[in-house]
Amino acid sequence: MPPAAFITAPCLFPLALACTLLASALGCSLCAGEITDSQRHFFEAKIRPALVTHCYECHAADSKKLGGKLLLDSPTEMLSGGQSGPALIPGDPDSSLLLQALRYDGLEMPPSKPLPPAIIADFEQWIRMGAPDPRPSGPTTAKPSATADLASLWAYQARQSPPTPAVSSVAWPRSSSDSFILAAMERAQLPPSPDATPATLIRRLYFDLIGLPPTADEVDTFVAACGQSLTAPSAELAIQTLVDQLLQSPHFGERWGRHWLDVARYAESNGNDGLSRNPSFPHAWRYRDYVIAAFNEDLPYHRFITEQIAGDLLAADTPAQRDRHLIATGFLALCAKPAKAMNENFEMDVVADQIDLVGSGLLGLTIACARCHDHKTDPISTREYYAIAGIFKSTETLWGAAAMQGLTAPQTPLHQLHAHSNTGPHPALDAIFAAYKPRRPPAKASFSYPPENGLAMGVRDAKTIADCALNIAGESKKLGPKIPRGFLQTAAFGDLDLPVPASASGRLQLAQWLAHPANPQPARVLVNRVWLHLFGQGIVRTPDDFGVFGDRPSHPALLDHLATRFIAEGWSIKKLIRHLVLSRTYRQASDHPTSHDTDPSNRWFTRQSLRRLDAEALRDAILACSGQLDRQPAQGSLIQSRDVLINELGNLHQPSRHRSVYLLMLRNAMPPELTPFNLPDAVRVTGQRDTSILATQALYLLNNPFLITQSQHFAQRLLDPATPSAERVRTAYRAAFSRNPSPQEIQRAESFLQEVELTLVSSQPNDPQRTLTAWTTFCQALLASSELRYLD
Amino acid sequence: MSAFLPPLSRRQMLRTASCGFGYLALSGLAATQAAPTDLTPRPPRLRARANRIIFLNMSGGPAQLDTFDYKPQVGKKPHPGSVVPFKQRGESGLWISDLLPNIARHADKLCVLNAMHCDTGIHAQSMLQLHTGDRLRPCPSMGAWVSYGLGTENQNLPGFISLNTAKPSEYASAGLPPVHAGTPIGINGEDMSRATLADISSQHLSPTLKRRQLDLIQEINRDHLLRRADDAQLEGVIQTLELGFRMQSVAPDLLDLSRESAATLDRYQVGKNYSAGTCKASDFGRQCLLARRFCEAGVRFIELNHGSWDQHTDHRRDLHANCASTDAPIAALLDDLDQRGLLEDTLVVWGGEFGRPGLTPGDGKDQTGHNARAFTFWLAGGGVKPGFTHGRTSDTGAECVEGKVHFRDLHATLLHLLGLDHENLAIVQGGRRIRLTGTEGGSVVRPILT
Repeated sequence: MPPAAFITAPCLFPLALACTLLASALGCSLCAGEITDSQRHFFEAKIRPALVTHCYECHAADSKKLGGKLLLDSPTEMLSGGQSGPALIPGDPDSSLLLQALRYDGLEMPPSKPLPPAIIADFEQWIRMGAPDPRPSGPTTAKPSATADLASLWAYQARQSPPTPAVSSVAWPRSSSDSFILAAMERAQLPPSPDATPATLIRRLYFDLIGLPPTADEVDTFVAACGQSLTAPSAELAIQTLVDQLLQSPHFGERWGRHWLDVARYAESNGNDGLSRNPSFPHAWRYRDYVIAAFNEDLPYHRFITEQIAGDLLAADTPAQRDRHLIATGFLALCAKPAKAMNENFEMDVVADQIDLVGSGLLGLTIACARCHDHKTDPISTREYYAIAGIFKSTETLWGAAAMQGLTAPQTPLHQLHAHSNTGPHPALDAIFAAYKPRRPPAKASFSYPPENGLAMGVRDAKTIADCALNIAGESKKLGPKIPRGFLQTAAFGDLDLPVPASASGRLQLAQWLAHPANPQPARVLVNRVWLHLFGQGIVRTPDDFGVFGDRPSHPALLDHLATRFIAEGWSIKKLIRHLVLSRTYRQASDHPTSHDTDPSNRWFTRQSLRRLDAEALRDAILACSGQLDRQPAQGSLIQSRDVLINELGNLHQPSRHRSVYLLMLRNAMPPELTPFNLPDAVRVTGQRDTSILATQALYLLNNPFLITQSQHFAQRLLDPATPSAERVRTAYRAAFSRNPSPQEIQRAESFLQEVELTLVSSQPNDPQRTLTAWTTFCQALLASSELRYLD
Repeated sequence: MSAFLPPLSRRQMLRTASCGFGYLALSGLAATQAAPTDLTPRPPRLRARANRIIFLNMSGGPAQLDTFDYKPQVGKKPHPGSVVPFKQRGESGLWISDLLPNIARHADKLCVLNAMHCDTGIHAQSMLQLHTGDRLRPCPSMGAWVSYGLGTENQNLPGFISLNTAKPSEYASAGLPPVHAGTPIGINGEDMSRATLADISSQHLSPTLKRRQLDLIQEINRDHLLRRADDAQLEGVIQTLELGFRMQSVAPDLLDLSRESAATLDRYQVGKNYSAGTCKASDFGRQCLLARRFCEAGVRFIELNHGSWDQHTDHRRDLHANCASTDAPIAALLDDLDQRGLLEDTLVVWGGEFGRPGLTPGDGKDQTGHNARAFTFWLAGGGVKPGFTHGRTSDTGAECVEGKVHFRDLHATLLHLLGLDHENLAIVQGGRRIRLTGTEGGSVVRPILT
């Protein structure tokens, strides 16, 4: 029987087959640089997994007891061999000791029982190919692979403080960032776009900074203060005043906190656990409020990280501060867990989520890939993964009662708060719960608390502090050596002297390592996240992956400049935003035709991006237009204090006039008023949302009761009998689009309204009713139009 | 998303044509579907044997040894095998269990793959792999690939519809343009009789006024577009508003079964639910009837869901309920497709994320686990041999013996039947080349092709 790979190869990879044959004819060398893709694939698919699973236990640098002094975890070691001589002779399977041992021909390996014939055939074929091996040469005790070139490993380099570049158009830049942007434009021989109009800029600033539209009066005041153009002498002061006022608004935290909640995969239920059960997180909202407050107070980012990773380990002066620290650790506890009953790796899946959160969310690196194998492209080894895993394995994650469903997740305690009292259940759902009969009786709650204390999800150090054993191929039952707790070891990350004490999980040290000014990544990643919310695209367009598979920065020097500046200014997010929105780059027009032709993807930021409002901003804008928006923060959550399977309860969402950030965010059952417009699934870090354009969005805009109700409210605002219809149209346009309608638009609206009223005469003889219907129809058209949803 | 739009060429094209889709839509020409959209039907690259797929997703791991892979006792010592009676059916003599008397009538239409295998016995991962080819990362779902590759035959409907859906990741467009994502109708656990497309209809305005209102919206949108010269996003808005509006005219009727005859509803067993143990009420009859209607209307890929076949305890009782829930509806669907000539170019696919080991007759046990090493799928219709069995398992049904078919091979075969080449239907995302059959690729199962 031919080797397994050859059965499928002819129809699958004709090219790969040709390469394979060619390689074996030439006796391909071991040099990694000469390996073809198909050979690399063959090795990764067939050989490496077999070596890791069946051989590394005794034949790797990590092995407790090295068998026969033979290392199989490096190509050079395999060639130089152990006690019995070279393990293999490339191109000659029959003479290779490795194959003789696998065939139980003289030697017998693995000693327990022979491997399946298909795997042995794979080794035979591989050796015949010339044993092409992409693993780094040399002993593996040295640092893991650096197969990628330096340019692609930029994220692993220390952060620089590049000088501000010189530019030809010296009058254009308003800030240091502008010089970096303009210098790149000049190199590419592209001109910047002209400034936007003051009316465009104020609408942009309102949505970007607080997620709400300006009122028509605010637009008028600002435009007047600017003196018609942004280059007018008075404009600068007007812009700065407006920006500072918006940064101080309590709505700032609601807007920017929501961006962070995307990163934190925030949700108020576990999501489907694979058994169709979706237990509530009745205390998650406290973390939401913490995040909003942190942004409003401009909590320095390094402190923000530290509280979320290790708040429980920080000293506190007051009970309120202590509560706040505990609530912050909810960051690590919000994960979507698969059912414990179905999953042998349950605990390590929770750890994997936490590592991904730290990796993608804070470091912009896909550390999570190293769970089962050394990272294929980035210099992150499985050892480093399990060094961090040991920290989280020594941490107890407090998700709560999991609706008292043992199969779903074991019950855990929660943090008890002392300055925050128990809210009790939300009365709006009383009727639903009065009628609710659980399909199966929940287990008894394992933990009880004083009824007056508030509770919070979070983490604390586990009773047992221990290093984590390497899970071979990610299987928690196949254990390798224990890996001392620690962090990434690659040069730029490894020089910080932060030893993990034997008696603690190491989360505090992890937080210190993340928040250390010498750690190049967290500041870069945050700066890029802020940039993309203000410019539509990041400097790195894969905000959660700065690794080899991620995007290269379009402006690497600017990224480092901003990160360095950010740290120098005390990790202040508000100062960073202020710096960026006061730049010339930010205030460019979005619709300049030249820029669209010469820089179609806006890689060089030669214009501002046309951006669709996200789901929350769209709903908030509609409520603002209709006059129904309640600007006060909502208190608590609809699901507070209710440990239930939300999948058994039908629709729990209730009408609300509060801002969207306060709506009930249940995994797999997000608020229907938001779902058509690309909410994240809240399962993984989401640095940038999709902005798909779908027919289901059209259906929402045309038919959803929320739109219809708000259109009625909007119309009622306009229907003062004393106001002529042209004036009403003007008011409506100013509310919806922050601008006055043209005479043609007024005329079009009036003829539309007349036509609709005429059509309605027979069905709605009552005059006021008919007028209301006509104006409602008109208002819905404004709310549904692209001009409301897209920000210039 | 933006990575998939070629802004420059599109913009230039629009400029030279002096009118974009937005203009066409407003002048009423959209109804002729003359303008190019992402959903425009595209001819396949290869000869197509089927034009659409109905996927009957049997989640939980159906017990193949008590449905389609007959394993009588051999030798003296009792061994795991079939514990319900089987008969040979039709002229083909296919073995089908007595629990599926109605599907058995269609034995001569089925192409049974008895030696399916996959990588893992973990439900969620295997289910994801069945749908997307990858068990760990978010990847485009089969239906999204098909919509991406072929567009949709009916511009008034999405290309991919998923009924009684479980998880968004199973019908996701992932890296493909989102217009190809599955449109969910009914979430698993909901009452399917109330399942509909969100906001597909409203009573607040007459159809005439709705059209008039949309015309005003589109005029405002067109002004917005023209002020900016043009913009692919704003054009997309105009375009999808028209599609959404058109869906209103078609989808509510398609979803409304009230005009089906009592006899039809009875044949499909609409509204009948046998829930017992793991077997959950799914109103599979309604799903099958809806599938036929969407199929007639030209939807490319329709997925139906029934679960759960995960009979760890009470195997016999729950298996009986699962079979009773799905047997008559599937048979009625095959009847109708056949009668309408649709079976010639529609491929029906039945199977789940893996199978189960057999029970040993007479040992008093009624419990099974998961088996990812050997299980059964069947296909019927466009391009596959009818009354045919491919692949063989061992006497206990635990292992494949010959004719093994991995999910990757199944994916390659389904695409092949639709005229798509699984090697070339791919996108590059973040440096990774993504295709349904993954990095390892699959092989078309040629022996089953007509």
